[in-house]
Amino acid sequence: MKSKQTSKIWLYAVMLLITVLTVGPFLITLFMAMKSGGEGIYTSLLPKDPTLANFVTAFEKSNFGLYFMNTAIITAIAIPLNLLFCSLAAYPLARMEFRGRSVVLALIISTMMVPFQLYMAPLFQLAGELGLRNTHIGLVVMQVSTAFGIFLMRQAYLRIPKELEESAYLDGANRFKVWYLVVLPLVKPTLVTLAIFTFMGTWGDYLWPLLNSTESSMYTLSIGLAQLSQNFDGSNLKLISAASILTTIPTLLIFIWLQKYFISGATDGAVKG
Amino acid sequence: MNREPVVLANIKTKITTKKKKSFSMKFLTPWLFLLPAIVILATFLVYPILEAFKWSLLDYKIIAGTGEYVGLANFKEMFADKYFWVALMNTLTFLVIVLPLNVFLPMILAVLVNQKIKAAGTFRVLYYLPVITPMVVAALMWKMLYSQSGIISEFLVKLGVFDGPTNLLVQSSTALTAVAAITVWKGLGYYMIIYLAGLQSIPKDVYESASIDGASVWKQFTKITVPMLTPSITLVSVMTIIAGMKVFEEIALTTGGGPSGATTTLVMYIYNKFMSLDVSTASAAGIVLLVLAIAASLLQMKLTSKREDDLRV
Repeated sequence: MKSKQTSKIWLYAVMLLITVLTVGPFLITLFMAMKSGGEGIYTSLLPKDPTLANFVTAFEKSNFGLYFMNTAIITAIAIPLNLLFCSLAAYPLARMEFRGRSVVLALIISTMMVPFQLYMAPLFQLAGELGLRNTHIGLVVMQVSTAFGIFLMRQAYLRIPKELEESAYLDGANRFKVWYLVVLPLVKPTLVTLAIFTFMGTWGDYLWPLLNSTESSMYTLSIGLAQLSQNFDGSNLKLISAASILTTIPTLLIFIWLQKYFISGATDGAVKG
Repeated sequence: MNREPVVLANIKTKITTKKKKSFSMKFLTPWLFLLPAIVILATFLVYPILEAFKWSLLDYKIIAGTGEYVGLANFKEMFADKYFWVALMNTLTFLVIVLPLNVFLPMILAVLVNQKIKAAGTFRVLYYLPVITPMVVAALMWKMLYSQSGIISEFLVKLGVFDGPTNLLVQSSTALTAVAAITVWKGLGYYMIIYLAGLQSIPKDVYESASIDGASVWKQFTKITVPMLTPSITLVSVMTIIAGMKVFEEIALTTGGGPSGATTTLVMYIYNKFMSLDVSTASAAGIVLLVLAIAASLLQMKLTSKREDDLRV
């Protein structure tokens, strides 16, 4: 019994040590963000005179309010559109017999493995030609309908027993009605998972906004942060830290809210490969 | 009397038109469902991919929007470029550093949070935090930790690894490893969850009978846990390879590919070529990256189908 107690203490000790590694960087950044003007950057870990002034400065002087809005807007565009278009597109791929189905499916699955860096230059040019440079829509063209989303939704549809839909057809409902009223409510958890993936993909996206937002009025939080970090020394570090915390808070809140979907979604997303 | 055929004919045409309509609806319905997604994907994904292939065969000028056909000259030039090979080697070295860490560290974490203790759920959440951090934030936080007066440097001096304060990101011998550590840190929680799913599919009675036979915890781990986790190990490995070859923010925001090219991976090479408007070489290098991604995916398919064969036997 006693050895069981000691092994439990050891277990907790190891787990706490790992916690220091995973959570420590956040705390250090938070402490840095709360240091006041006159305080040295690395003199101590904890802020001597904690202040929220850096957050205010980030919002007011460094335009992070605007970047926050831009990021919120593109995320608000991306999530509903991606959910709608993917859940629509996946339905016939899971449930209907038609010519070209296997071709469409194969194409969608194979595009999932194409690295963004291969086609970012042509996409950049296309966005310019279509007038999408420095627009909110232009920032989310990659997110409003994703091959991964279609794949994820199709997997969810395949898990539903067919009988439920068939009885609805006998009652005279058409395909769209059955999809909307019968099928969609059954895949709600997958819709939440896809919403989370879309949120994470859009909120933290860096490379595409970096290319497509050439005017600072269209910067997202990621781009604003990267720009701010061009000057990576002295008192600017406090500002960078504050902006980093601001950028992370929304994802943290959503994580706390939808925790179990994050965890189940991680394994759903694993099939992505 | 002679009205009857007319009525019959009417009914007949009604039936046939209804049939025709339902036939065309049957044909159209799936495409109506697919339409929005297909239009968007064709425009913003398939078309740019095809363009990239085209550009790799042209001497493409992005500002003029035209280019002459040059055959495989871009590839030949790239393969003769020393920096391309350095970049390819850096990508491979990066994967070699990340792969074992990604396979083992999250496995240990999964075993720990799978223990029957009260706080296991809390630890699971705390270990998952890096996963939800935006990549740019993660990169900048670590850049700060790595800085010469920062905590890591201080720690290493105290350990006696270095004589004086050292920024690991600016030493060409350590930069790639330092960057890889960020990638590993960010992925720990994610791969932990994948292992956790694998762990929970191992039947409990296997462990029970093992401990009745007197097998130590370590022996149970090496003789039961690790072998039973083989499918998860395969999955984690392939995901690491596919994600690892596309790593961008960790490098772009910390070292920018330096010092003197030590962290210029294939992706950074592509990005630099694009920034210097050499989009044809960027496309050619992108195709090399695609080939690597396809190879990794094929490997996954082969390994997973082999696993299914094993299960069948």
